Amino acid sequence: MINTIILVFVGGAMGALIREFLMIGVPPVADGFPLDILVANIAATFLLGLTAAFHARKIVTDSVNTLVGTGIMGGLSTFSSFVYGAVVLIGASVQSALVAILYLLVSVALGYVAITLGLRMGGAGSARP
Amino acid sequence: MTPLDLAWVCLGGGLGSLLRWWVGRMVGERYHGDLPVSTLLINVSGAFVIGYLSVRLGVDWRDRYSTAVMAGLLTGGLGGYTTFSTMQLDAATLTRQAPGRAVSYLVISIGAGLAAAALGAALAHVSG
Repeated sequence: MINTIILVFVGGAMGALIREFLMIGVPPVADGFPLDILVANIAATFLLGLTAAFHARKIVTDSVNTLVGTGIMGGLSTFSSFVYGAVVLIGASVQSALVAILYLLVSVALGYVAITLGLRMGGAGSARP
Repeated sequence: MTPLDLAWVCLGGGLGSLLRWWVGRMVGERYHGDLPVSTLLINVSGAFVIGYLSVRLGVDWRDRYSTAVMAGLLTGGLGGYTTFSTMQLDAATLTRQAPGRAVSYLVISIGAGLAAAALGAALAHVSG
């Protein structure tokens, strides 16, 4: 229990830190499309799929899965900034509302592709993640 | 961005993730169905709080570090608490049950998340 708490805390702190470094490295594109959050979310989703698949196949232990899957990838990805950014864009102007809708659709679709790809590449074809 | 901002992001990210793990445990002890309700609850509540606090504190949605509250609570805490990746993993798991369920889950998550963020922001405008 205390080990799990430490693993989740340390992983979450690392994930949030990686997200910030990633967001500095990725320039936000013109027209207010939040590419930086998208990149962090898609990267975390792919790596979570890979981790879940490796965990299902017992290639990684429960502890590693908690540190990386629950902690780091949970901390790296964000849902709150994702939807709040969309809400602000929707309310700003018709043009930015269209950008927001595109942002939501692209995020969800790419995220689904990323998790599927991660699970498949991790070999979770037969085993349940 | 200063090293102190990063320290706040780290602390917030760690605590936010712990809260997410704890809520997941609490929900898991009470709900034994196969729908991913804990992730939904976490994401929708986090969306409400970010909407409320951003307006209340007068924070621009692109601003991430200017104060300790912003870096620690909004960027670190809520970023660590809510999760986009687990939502997609839930969707992939639901696809194995029935593909329609995954689509419904994603639509409900995004719809409820947008509504919660807008509601939080509206409430902060009214009360502030």
